[in-house]
Amino acid sequence: MIINHPLLGPRDVAEFIYLGDACLIDRPDWEADDAAEAFHEYGYLRDNIAGPMQELWYHEQGDRSWLVVTRDTLTHEITNVEMARDVARARGRSK
Amino acid sequence: MPDFTLISAPPLAGYNSSFGDIKLSAPKDLAIVSIALPLGGEDAAKAAITSAFGIDLPDTVGTSSPTKDGTASLMRLGADQAFVVFTSATPDAERQIAAKLNGTAYTTDQTDAWCSLEISGPGARRALERICPIDLHPDAFAVGAVARTVMEHMGAIIARTGDDSFLLLSASSSAKSFLHAVELSARNVI
Repeated sequence: MIINHPLLGPRDVAEFIYLGDACLIDRPDWEADDAAEAFHEYGYLRDNIAGPMQELWYHEQGDRSWLVVTRDTLTHEITNVEMARDVARARGRSK
Repeated sequence: MPDFTLISAPPLAGYNSSFGDIKLSAPKDLAIVSIALPLGGEDAAKAAITSAFGIDLPDTVGTSSPTKDGTASLMRLGADQAFVVFTSATPDAERQIAAKLNGTAYTTDQTDAWCSLEISGPGARRALERICPIDLHPDAFAVGAVARTVMEHMGAIIARTGDDSFLLLSASSSAKSFLHAVELSARNVI
């Protein structure tokens, strides 16, 4: 499998480490009233998606960037690769 | 009390060998300092780099530029990270660079963390393409290109320093395994 890194171009999947669902970017508010329940959901509950899914991949043997990869879990086809920092900032995060 | 004297010895110091038309050697006194651009302070750090080295920090990740006086190379390895590679026999590489940048960027001495090899000659690319997953054709990886990747399961940085010459960096802790991998690949293509 080849991941087309937005800055570096196509790189072999062996350079990357898979983390999981990109929903991990959306960390719950720890001060909210329902924080315990929200963190339980954040930590343990995942959708089991058959089809296009946004995933976090880490380019450990490369520029050490986090990527959001849109991959079809049925075909392994990758349709989009973004820098995770850009995705997080677009969702209003400051860092 | 016994009197110990510590000797500084880079992992591949003095190595020099050739395999057919491929020359393999360990550069002497190679110093490496990483520069990290602070969040929100990128522009100030880039301006300091320009005035310190006489050239702009390369814009494209995966490219490098020689400094204006030609004594060092600036490698852009990530969105927020660059390496300065230069020759220095004294163990103060980080202080030399930090003094130039005047606190505008984070600097870390990387000299002892890496081992380095220079591979050159008409067969250099033939030897490398067996262990390096990066496309090393001159159209895809021109002189000045640099990439951080993995060779034989060891993290490595490869930089093209000339038409037929490359600088390889890998972890100093596995220096001999890395040398073995490159040597073996060179032997296999003679």
